[in-house]
Amino acid sequence: MDTEQRVKKVVAKQLKVNENDIKPGSEFVKDLGADSIQSIELVALFEEEFDIEMDEQAALAAKTVGGAVTFIKKVIEDNGGKTQ
Amino acid sequence: MSEQNSYKNLTQEQIKILQSQGCSAQDWSLVKVTDGFEPERVRNVQFLGHIFIGRFTGDIKLAGGLEKPSGIYNATVANCTIGDDARISNIGVHIANYDIGSKACIENVGAMATNPGASFGNGVRVAVLNETGGREVMLFDELSAQFAYMMSMHRYRPNLTAKLFEIAQREAEKVRSDRGKVGPAAQIFSTAEIIDVNIGAQALIEAASSLVNGTILSSAEAPTIIGSNVRAEDFIIAESASVSGAAGLKKVYVGQGSQIGKQFSVENSLFFSNCEAFNGEACSIFAGPYTVTHHKSTLLIACLFSFYNAGSGTNQSNHMYKLGPVHEGKLERGTKAGSFSYMMWPCRVGAFSIILGKHTRIFDTSDFPFSHLEAGPDGRCLMIPGLYLATAGTLRDGSKWPSRDRRKGCKKRDIISFDIFSPYTVGKMIKGCSILKKLQDNTKRSVEEVSVNGTQLKRVLMRTSQKFYRTGIEMYLLENVLARAEKALDGGIKKICKAFATDEGAVYSLDWVDIGGQLMPKERLLDLTAAIENGKVSDAEAFSSEIRKIHQTVEKDKWLWVRNTYKEYFGRDLEKLTKDELCCAAESYHKTRTKFLKQVLADAEKDFDKNSRTGFGQDGSAGDLDEDFRQVRGEYNANRFVKEICDSIEAVEHCVSEFKEKISTIF
Repeated sequence: MDTEQRVKKVVAKQLKVNENDIKPGSEFVKDLGADSIQSIELVALFEEEFDIEMDEQAALAAKTVGGAVTFIKKVIEDNGGKTQ
Repeated sequence: MSEQNSYKNLTQEQIKILQSQGCSAQDWSLVKVTDGFEPERVRNVQFLGHIFIGRFTGDIKLAGGLEKPSGIYNATVANCTIGDDARISNIGVHIANYDIGSKACIENVGAMATNPGASFGNGVRVAVLNETGGREVMLFDELSAQFAYMMSMHRYRPNLTAKLFEIAQREAEKVRSDRGKVGPAAQIFSTAEIIDVNIGAQALIEAASSLVNGTILSSAEAPTIIGSNVRAEDFIIAESASVSGAAGLKKVYVGQGSQIGKQFSVENSLFFSNCEAFNGEACSIFAGPYTVTHHKSTLLIACLFSFYNAGSGTNQSNHMYKLGPVHEGKLERGTKAGSFSYMMWPCRVGAFSIILGKHTRIFDTSDFPFSHLEAGPDGRCLMIPGLYLATAGTLRDGSKWPSRDRRKGCKKRDIISFDIFSPYTVGKMIKGCSILKKLQDNTKRSVEEVSVNGTQLKRVLMRTSQKFYRTGIEMYLLENVLARAEKALDGGIKKICKAFATDEGAVYSLDWVDIGGQLMPKERLLDLTAAIENGKVSDAEAFSSEIRKIHQTVEKDKWLWVRNTYKEYFGRDLEKLTKDELCCAAESYHKTRTKFLKQVLADAEKDFDKNSRTGFGQDGSAGDLDEDFRQVRGEYNANRFVKEICDSIEAVEHCVSEFKEKISTIF
């Protein structure tokens, strides 16, 4: 499974939405109904899914699913492709 | 007021004049006056018993610039001393057994009297927290938040409690008297009933309904105000407080600078400095400094608060329909309750947490400050530890409280520690972090939630919460270390390391306590407790002096805590730090502090995001929404708080780079 699919899977489970309805342009708050607490939980779930540590603030700045995918990829890349 | 032996009998001529002006006396020989007494300013007065009257030559200045002549008009006065240039006018029933200060004004008052052996609210037992008793605080004029806290909370030390009661009782006896006092320049207007009430200098009582068995502490520098339709019984109201707007008080202490009004009704409660209580109701609460409740249908009951803000409709239960209303809550400093939040006691809430929803389960989050505590559909508490550590609200509160200290005059009874980050809260964060780490290590990934002290905690957030807490812990420790180092920078590394040494007289405790708003190492509390128990501290003045001494040494104690905690947390002895390690510490501080401030900024920015603009641009087109928002709410970048935080980020950067530069030039 690639990064985007894994992100979508986490988002679908956490926000209780259909995975097929999640597009790269979907906004977490506006389109997927995430509140601020769910957003923090999502960051924690992404950390767990990819075994990485993210800066909360920087991660929360990603407003769309596509933005989150890009951010996660960058964190993994910055770690030299390694996860924790 | 003149000494009684300086008064003289009235002359026959003066008696004749008084009689011709409608005055009468039970016995004219008991009416004494000072030299220069002018009978022309005493009309339609009936004198009963021993009366001492000063000179009436000047006028009383009233609000709005109105001036009225001093003197006694249309009154029955029994056993009173009336000071120079006082004014007593239109007394419906009588004024009895009062010493009335010079330039005091009592006008249009029904009955005002002191009964034999009155104690003026002193000695009243206020049943805080447990409505049925067991944690009573005895009122006396010099009561402080710290004294009351120890008296009510430390019942596990019965000897201490007994000694504190002895002190309070002795203080109460000191004011016991057959005569009440009205202080100089106090003004009392249109009040139906004042019985057994001492009234301090320059107090203003205007249109109160009934004041019975109480003291209104007031002074020229810190006048106290009692407003319209107030009913108060068994009370002490301290300097620069205001009780108005038909508030109803029964067995209540109102601390310095506190405000109670807008029909607030309260029973068996204590409000210490700078509290605000309007519209709602309180019963058996211990409101430490800065407890605020503003809304109707808010009931605060059987709880300890400080720096607390109650949302509208906030409510609690202390009664489980078994043995009566015996349960109590402890909300540590800085907590907030969202609108219509409910809690079922007993519960304990960690400092600076936010409570949302209807909680019907018992929990204790005292080891998890700055937490989000939200009730789930089943009434269980869902906790996110540390979520509110870096929020705009928390930071704003920290700067708001000291600037809103309404206490006037030089005498401030309560000691108030304002710090948000302190060994108290940071110590709790360290403890919380350690609990979370253990939980994380012992919880399988298949588990979604775990129970912690009656709350539900999502496993996935255990690591996140630790990150929140680590930010707070590291920021606090590094900030204090760098501040200390900075002062000794010019002296080289040896002087810096010396500056990290323990201050003389400092006391260390791993645990700090919050004693009615005053933070101190637990060891200091134990010393004070022992001193009270063994009789070394045996009166209210000595108690006050001791808590002041503790407050004066708190910076030394704080440093010792930081120093020891730094070693424990970072594994490095401060006195052995190298130049490179100091530079590293400065860089870490820069990173952590900046991260913290940026989180605060991001939190503040939410108030300007798309969601916050919902409902703006009323009746306009889509394009009008942003302009409407801009006109009403302003722009994010122009917001004062936002600017301050941005400035702080720059200042941190500047300070740290200057620090590192200095270090590199010195060594």
